[in-house]
Amino acid sequence: MSLRDTIRIMIVDDMSVSRALITQSLEEIGITKYQTENDAKAALGKIVAAPVHLVLCDMNMPGMNGLELLHALRTNKTTARIGFILITGQPTPELLRIGQELGLNNLIRKPFTTATMKASIERVVGPL
Amino acid sequence: MGNPILDTFFEETEELLESLAEGLESMQGAEFDKEIVNSVFRAVHSIKGGAGAFKLNALVSFAHSFETVLDEVRSETLELTPQVMHTLIRSADHLTDLVDAARSGRTMPEDVSAGFLSALEACLGEGKIEAVDAWDNFEFAAVTLDIAPIEEPGEAAPEAEAASGSQAGFTIAFKPHATLYANGHEPALLFAALADLGQMTTTVDLSRLPEWDDLDPTVPHLSWTIALRTDESEIAVQEVFEFVHGLCDLVISPLADPTPPPKVEPVPVVKAAPVAPVAAAPVAAPEPSAPKAEAPTMSDRAAAAVAALKVKADKAEDAEAKAPKATLRVDLDRVDRLINAVGELIINQAMIAQRLQDMTTTRDDDLVMHIEDYRLLARDIQEGVMAIRAQPVKSLFQRMSRIVREAADATGKAAELVTSGEGTEVDKTVVERLADPLTHMIRNAVDHGLENREARAASGKPAMGTIKLSASHRSGSVIITVRDDGAGLNRPKILEIAKRKNLVPADAELSDSEIDQLLFMPGFSTAATVSNLSGRGVGLDVVRNAVTALGGRISIATTPGQGTEFTIMLPLTLAVMDGMVVTVGGQTLVVPITSIIETIRPQPSDLHRIGTDETLLSIRGRMIPVVDVARSLGFPSPDNLAAPLLLLVESESLGECALVVDGVQDQRQVVIKSLESNFGSVPGVSAATVLGDGRIALILDPDAVAGGRTAGMHMPNILSNAGRTAYANV
Repeated sequence: MSLRDTIRIMIVDDMSVSRALITQSLEEIGITKYQTENDAKAALGKIVAAPVHLVLCDMNMPGMNGLELLHALRTNKTTARIGFILITGQPTPELLRIGQELGLNNLIRKPFTTATMKASIERVVGPL
Repeated sequence: MGNPILDTFFEETEELLESLAEGLESMQGAEFDKEIVNSVFRAVHSIKGGAGAFKLNALVSFAHSFETVLDEVRSETLELTPQVMHTLIRSADHLTDLVDAARSGRTMPEDVSAGFLSALEACLGEGKIEAVDAWDNFEFAAVTLDIAPIEEPGEAAPEAEAASGSQAGFTIAFKPHATLYANGHEPALLFAALADLGQMTTTVDLSRLPEWDDLDPTVPHLSWTIALRTDESEIAVQEVFEFVHGLCDLVISPLADPTPPPKVEPVPVVKAAPVAPVAAAPVAAPEPSAPKAEAPTMSDRAAAAVAALKVKADKAEDAEAKAPKATLRVDLDRVDRLINAVGELIINQAMIAQRLQDMTTTRDDDLVMHIEDYRLLARDIQEGVMAIRAQPVKSLFQRMSRIVREAADATGKAAELVTSGEGTEVDKTVVERLADPLTHMIRNAVDHGLENREARAASGKPAMGTIKLSASHRSGSVIITVRDDGAGLNRPKILEIAKRKNLVPADAELSDSEIDQLLFMPGFSTAATVSNLSGRGVGLDVVRNAVTALGGRISIATTPGQGTEFTIMLPLTLAVMDGMVVTVGGQTLVVPITSIIETIRPQPSDLHRIGTDETLLSIRGRMIPVVDVARSLGFPSPDNLAAPLLLLVESESLGECALVVDGVQDQRQVVIKSLESNFGSVPGVSAATVLGDGRIALILDPDAVAGGRTAGMHMPNILSNAGRTAYANV
């Protein structure tokens, strides 16, 4: 059982296209235990109820954005240690700074490829 | 296309563009609302993100500039002047074009995009828009994490326990008595309830299990030790065992040895990052998370609980406020197949009802009742299926505001579009096929309807012209009106043009409404200077044809000095209609019930012969032209004009007129079967249907029948001769 068979990932993105692209990449990598949410608040509820190892989350979403979700996860101690990778098209210095303060694990730039996605995940959780 | 994700992208983009247009519209009117600007920004941002994934570069680079400007507006560093607003709205239009182009695999001309880009840049000043790839060289120092398997609920997983942090907990020793089982309790359910409280590890003690041969199944041999990590109090744990109290040995004690959580090992991956200086700084350990995880305090717990509560409350609020309706995307073919099947069902019902009526020998009341139920059910199903295809006209109306903007820009007039009734639902096909005629009418309204600035100022009207577009339901029809507040129709000029173009004889005397109708004649174009906007040789006749093809009618009303109103009346569905079954010249025809006002059998004294073969009906003090349907369709006409049966119908071209028919058979719902694909467009006949007895009946187009009549009277060259030959061939 390699890590890619056991790792559980939550994908949070309000756009179904992005979700489809992310899940497509994950499947190409060979990760099968993933779930998707289109709303950060709903995702937070799900993660609190049933923890995952890693969250792949879009930055720009209505209601609660990616960093807000990260903050919420980090301040709740049952979820504080969950890995969190932010996916964004605009990694500004400001965003990087806040991300690091909140303990962001990694950042994937849009548009991504399966290779960059895999590399980014591996830098957080180790070889898949 | 073949790429389902790309298809989804375009579908989603369409929705985003809609909300973009909507957002921009409300930004225009109301005060600065940050939430609206945010949603507008997000729409553009999401389109950019998706487009990037599919390497639609033209789209990405334009969306990027657009987004940059919106970002400035959002952060209030850029003031929302009317000029900026105008640029934003036009940019949204251009974005729509780019999406369309991308969808059909075309590329937009560079210079068009360049024009819009420079307009956007002008908003910010030179050089403010960074290149799309400005942040390409960023380097984020990833923070590595130990991944511990997460246990399945109820399953033993010691590592997970460790990873779960430093929760308080209890050790529970549980040994059920025989009475526990006898009372119908089940340890597994108790454990499940415990699992809800936190993470638990269950160890079963099998030591007292006897050899198989000695086993007494009525005596319990098992006991369990449960290590439960939970924030709950002991009372909560005891509550789980409340109902088995006294039926088991139960010892609950605080967890002896809470395993300290392994620390997150931050691996500082420091890289020289040329662009992002922040990332180049040494990465500190994730401070906010680690210390808290190690030493949970009451206040932390409370804060977490409050946060959780807040999230819950927010969620509930959200659900109430803007719970999106669950929808289902279905392949259109499937719906159309269903609609076809329902059409056949209705025909089938009519046939059965007909056969039953013919079986006069035995009359079974029950059967009659069931058939009636069948009819109602079929109608219910049909309405339900039609509702699937129904769409609000909102998206159509939204496109029109763009047309108004473009037309206003091109003509140098100021115009705004006011819409109402956007929620009115119409068949999808109608929405689609109405787009072109409506575009044309809106352009006309701006180009020809509205006066220029000077004329408006002279007549004391506000400089901003208003185009009103509204939709509503009225008695089984959809009414769409386009109204301008311009000068109204210039009838003498219209008549003059028509005469010059030989559309009417030079000596023709036409009533006002007949002059208005001239606008719909092929080859009529009023603008003295042919503008590049609406004077393209396609006139209102094209609009009328499109509307007629949808089974609708168009009419025109004008008040000099106050404006012109076009009204389009459309059937709700294109698949079934209520019709009156009549016989004409031995043929069975169906007349749409929507156009029938009344049926009448007049006294011979009410009929007045005019000239050689014209007849007028005098009714309630008015004279109405009588149209012999049989003759206009080219059927052998029995001369029954002495005591005819008349259908009073309303036609757009002639106002009211009376159709001569031989007899009225029935009034019923008929399924419309288009003839167009097999026979082309047949003037006077809009479609056909299958009657209950299996016969085919043509569906009459009263307007064309009556219109052909006027044509014969005043405009001999339109369709009288050619039309009649066509009827004869039907």
